[in-house]
Amino acid sequence: MAQQQGIIVLVDIANALRSRTLTGNVYLFDNMKFLGSTGQGTPDLVTICPGTYWSDGSQATEQVLNWLPASLGSIPPTVPRSYHADRAQATDQEALEEIAGVADRAGDPSVDTAAELEGLRRRVGARARRQRGGRAPAAPKVLDVTGNVVTGEGQAYNHPNPVITDITGPAVEEKIMYPAQYGSPDMVSDGWYWAASVDTSRPGTYRYTMHIQLHELVWRNGEPAWEPVDYTCDSAIKVISDPKRNAFTGAGLGVLPIP
Amino acid sequence: MKPHVNIVVLVDAVGALSDRTLNNGNLSLVDDGAFGSRGQGTTDLCTVVVPGQVVQWTAIAIDVQTTAEISAITFLPPDAAGGAGGAAAEEAPAGEAPGGGHENLDLKVWEGIVPAHLQPGVPYRYRLEVRMHEGRDSVLHIDTPALMCA
Repeated sequence: MAQQQGIIVLVDIANALRSRTLTGNVYLFDNMKFLGSTGQGTPDLVTICPGTYWSDGSQATEQVLNWLPASLGSIPPTVPRSYHADRAQATDQEALEEIAGVADRAGDPSVDTAAELEGLRRRVGARARRQRGGRAPAAPKVLDVTGNVVTGEGQAYNHPNPVITDITGPAVEEKIMYPAQYGSPDMVSDGWYWAASVDTSRPGTYRYTMHIQLHELVWRNGEPAWEPVDYTCDSAIKVISDPKRNAFTGAGLGVLPIP
Repeated sequence: MKPHVNIVVLVDAVGALSDRTLNNGNLSLVDDGAFGSRGQGTTDLCTVVVPGQVVQWTAIAIDVQTTAEISAITFLPPDAAGGAGGAAAEEAPAGEAPGGGHENLDLKVWEGIVPAHLQPGVPYRYRLEVRMHEGRDSVLHIDTPALMCA
C-alpha cells in the first residue's frame, strides 16, 4: 500500500516580508526522494507521484499529498501546544505579583511609583489586534522566539506559521489532483491542513500554485496588529504510472514457492 | 471454502526503525482465514489454508505518512532452525526498472496459490521482509509466521 506524501513548505517569513515576495524565500521538501522526487530543499521541488494500475488499466493505489507549511526561525512546532498561552499567562501572573510590591513601596517617597508601573506595563508585553474574520493567530500576546514578551515597535518577534489558503494551477485545472482543506486533530497543522488525491492515469509533469498567507506585525499609535499578507509560490508534481505485477512470479498469479 | 485468504501486515515503521526490529510490537499479522488461524495480531501468525486457495499479503503502515512495503517473502526449508535458511530469496526478477529507475515496491502484489503438496498440520514457516524507506537497516525481517494446511 502506498504511503501518503508529505510536502514541507518552509518559509523564511522575515525575509519574505522584507522583500515582499516568496521568491527565494521558500524551501520545499517531500519524503519521496527515494522514489524519484527532485529538487529537495529548493524552490524547484518536483514531487513524484508513482501511480500503479491493474492489468485492466484501472488505477490500483491512490496517491495522497499533504502540505505542511512551516516557518523558518520561529518557535518550533514541537514545543507543547499550550506554549504561547502558557507564556502569556505566566507573564501576566508575574506582573500581577509585582503589583503587590509596588503597592507596598508606594508610601516610600524615594520610590518612583510611576516608573515602576511603566516597567510593569513593559513586562506584561503587547497584545496584537487581529482582523475581523482573518486567519491571524489566536494567541494575542506577541512573543519573541525565546518565548519572552514583545513590548514595543522595532523588537524582533515570533512569526506565526504560514497559512495555505488555496492550491490552484494547471495540476488542479486539468483535474490531475484534487486538493481540499481538511480539519484534523493533528497538533502540528493547527487543526487544518491541505491534502489532495492524485489521478495517476495521465502521466506527466504538472505545475501548481500554493497561495500562502503570512502575518506581519504592524504598529499603529503604539498598538500592534497582525496584518495578513498574501503571496503565491509554485511547485510541480510528476505523475508516473506502472503496472502492478505478481511479486512471486514477476507476471501473473502462480503457485506459492514452498519447498 | 473462501477462495481468498488475506494476510495483513501492520507495521509501525517509526517503532521498527527506532528499535531496529520488527518485534517489540512493531509488526503484527492478522488474517481472515476460515480455519482457525493461530497467533492473530502477533508476529507468530500461523494461517490455516487449503490447497488451491489464493493467499495475499498486504503491508499497511500504521502511520500513513511512513513507508512500509514487503520486499520479500521466502519460504524456509522444513528443517531450518530459524537461521538464515538455505532458500534463495524468491523476489521477482528485476527485469526492466519500472518507476522511472526507482524500485517501487508498491507495484508488487504478494499473492500466490497454495500448492497441493503441503502436509496437513505442518506449519510452513516463511521469512517476511519489510522495507521502510531506504538506507542501512531499512530492511528488517521475521522468520516466525507460517502457512499450514488444514
